[in-house]
Amino acid sequence: MNTGPAITVNGLTKDFRIGLRGLKLRAVDNVSFEIPRGQVFGLLGPNGCGKSTTLKIILGLVSPTAGKVSILGFPFATTAARSRTGFLPEAPYFHKFLTGRELVAYCARLSGVKPESVNHAVEEALVLTAMTEAADRTIGTYSKGMLQRIGLAQAIVHDPELVILDEPTAGVDPVGSAAIGQMIKSMKSKGKTIVLCSHLLGQVEQVCDRIAIMDRGKLVLEGRVDDVLTRRDQNIITVENLTPDARRAAEEVLAQHGAKITSITHPRRSLDDLFRELVTGSRDA
Amino acid sequence: MPNFMKSSLTRISWMTRLTFLEAIRQRFFAFLILLSAALVLSSVSFRFLDFGHGELKFVCDFGFGGMFLFGSVLAVVMSAQLFFAEMDNRTALTLLAKPVSRTEFLVGKFIGVWLVLGVFIFTLSTLLGIILWARCQELTATAIEVGKAPPELSITGLLSYTGMQWARLGVVAAMILMVASLARTFLFTVIVGSMLVVAGQLQWLAQETLLKPGELNFFSKALLSISTYIIPNLQQFNIGDALTLDHGSVADGAVTLALFSGTCYIVVFLFIGSLIFRQREI
Amino acid sequence: MKALRVQWMLAIFCLGLAGVIAELSWTKVRVSIPEMGKKQIEPSLGQGMLLGILGGFRTVVADGAWIRSYVLWERRDRAGCEALMRTSCLLDPRARFFWENTGYVIGYDMAHWEIRKRGGYAKVSAEIQDDLFKKYAQHGINVMDEGIKYTGGNVGILISAGQMSELKLKDFSQAASYYKRASESKNAPWFVHFLCARALWESGETKKAYDWYREVWQKKLSNEDDHAPDDLEHLRFMEDQLHLALLQRIPRQSWEKNN
Repeated sequence: MNTGPAITVNGLTKDFRIGLRGLKLRAVDNVSFEIPRGQVFGLLGPNGCGKSTTLKIILGLVSPTAGKVSILGFPFATTAARSRTGFLPEAPYFHKFLTGRELVAYCARLSGVKPESVNHAVEEALVLTAMTEAADRTIGTYSKGMLQRIGLAQAIVHDPELVILDEPTAGVDPVGSAAIGQMIKSMKSKGKTIVLCSHLLGQVEQVCDRIAIMDRGKLVLEGRVDDVLTRRDQNIITVENLTPDARRAAEEVLAQHGAKITSITHPRRSLDDLFRELVTGSRDA
Repeated sequence: MPNFMKSSLTRISWMTRLTFLEAIRQRFFAFLILLSAALVLSSVSFRFLDFGHGELKFVCDFGFGGMFLFGSVLAVVMSAQLFFAEMDNRTALTLLAKPVSRTEFLVGKFIGVWLVLGVFIFTLSTLLGIILWARCQELTATAIEVGKAPPELSITGLLSYTGMQWARLGVVAAMILMVASLARTFLFTVIVGSMLVVAGQLQWLAQETLLKPGELNFFSKALLSISTYIIPNLQQFNIGDALTLDHGSVADGAVTLALFSGTCYIVVFLFIGSLIFRQREI
Repeated sequence: MKALRVQWMLAIFCLGLAGVIAELSWTKVRVSIPEMGKKQIEPSLGQGMLLGILGGFRTVVADGAWIRSYVLWERRDRAGCEALMRTSCLLDPRARFFWENTGYVIGYDMAHWEIRKRGGYAKVSAEIQDDLFKKYAQHGINVMDEGIKYTGGNVGILISAGQMSELKLKDFSQAASYYKRASESKNAPWFVHFLCARALWESGETKKAYDWYREVWQKKLSNEDDHAPDDLEHLRFMEDQLHLALLQRIPRQSWEKNN
């Protein structure tokens, strides 16, 4: 069994020619990173930073100007690589006259799922994405959240090793967004590698193991979420019933050891958590 | 059959299915087929305009005209529309991210469109055949009464002509998909595609000129020759009158050769289209 | 990159091959499509192009063009009338009606239009008038010749061409040749044999006329139900005119009326 990285990007560069004079716009500039198997990888960056172009190159939809990409040990843009990859594009659009079930079955057949296994695969994908009830309605009747979920279903129906999600929660309400987050975690628990492109940093922070940040075509940061976000030079201690006297005593003790209290605030829960608590009536982690 | 061929054919067949289902639902298709059917049915009422052509020829002309004109419009517009719908809606993104090659995508699109064109052509042809057969029976009875020769009608000839028209529309659809592979917009594809169809219909002028040598200099001849190779002669499929009403005047093997020629052009245009499409960035 | 170049070269080669096959196909197929050589369509290139663009509706457009030509006939527009009539002919070249009537209009009417345009019968000399009649008649016959070719020798057009040769050109030999071709068709009407014989007779080839007419009567007409008595009567007249001996004449028929 191949245990190498899920995706290896080496020196990736992409130039676009603009206008009649053929001026070059460098969309991706010498980007290199590795995505280990079985992890959730977040690719972040402002609009126009080159992350969508990078994803398209990985999927073989656009050819690079320079550099190499390999997917699960296979050269990119090959049938072998694509048959092991599932993709949910940003703002997905599907043929409205198909039902959800028909769409997922169609994608299963295109992805090489054997005819005798199609029904089972479709049911599994629909269950995972909580689309079983709406599966027999036409896609034209779906809400935004349902479209995203059916999009996710078509991306995973063939049980790919690698799943690439481009803005999976764009335009989706917090409840739906959390549900998609859960689905991502569920896929990860099955050993899948997930590449997530999102502007919802809060969700990325919760769900991703590793992140890479791009800006103006360059990779500016890459690493484990804990490593890049944790400020190891500072600690947070949560205290109950802190009186002014107790605070003064603590400051004195800390000062003796060369430490200093820089701020004291009250912990806050996130609006996300509050919303979910009120709407679903349960506390989610 | 090797596995990779089997799986490729499976993917093409599923692409074809989806394209066919999408195309057959379109109102444009329904509108054109109803309009053409109305035209064929109305031919019986316009018989009084007949200046001695023969009534069956007159009715045939309406039917053939409908097949030709509306079939061409359908082939150009539908091929372009189905291709660009995938690009503009970005469903192509989802499809091509799957293990579907660009060639399979294009071939699946083509076969789907061609099947829809087949439905169009065979529906009209059936309607025309029924009208012709009914009128032929009436005219034959009248001719026998007055001691004249009965009119000739070949339903087999009509079927052959239908097959030829289907082949012609296949050539047109393949040509449009080739243009679409390169073009950026639907409008450009339709305009250029329509011009190519007209050029194809007029190609016989160039071929006739080349068959009668001695009038052209070397460069004119070379230019004409190149044009006859690049743009298919669509007039070679228009022998409806001879096939349906005057069977004896069709040379042996003419239909087979024309169909073979059409098949060759379809394959070549799809091949060129896939070469272009492979370089296209989605 | 190299593989791509090879594929493109293969594509271009296949395109060329497809073109060759299409050329072969056209040489077989064009027999079934009324031939439009470059010479014929030059005067009406627009019509040739129209023919190319129309896949059907030719009959309808031909009829439309013909009706429109009537308007130009009323206006005595020689060029316009001929162009539209030729369009109808080209669009439906197998129809006798268009060729025959185009020939009639050109051969019988246009000379008069020309004369009127030049000032009228009083102004234009008899010689010039005669030349014009002959010129337009021959032009009309040329059109009918084209029609004969495209219709595969339509009897009606042959007879009309013969008639025009007789009446306008006074060329009985030419008329006889048309009538002869008509008499040899399987749809020959009963009167065409007499027309041919009479034209030959008028051209001065009296013996030849008799010999030919006699052969036709003996081999074909006498086998009809009524034995073609009118034709036999004409033959008897010829025999009298040629002063043929009894043994040189057609034997008396049992049903023949006594003079």
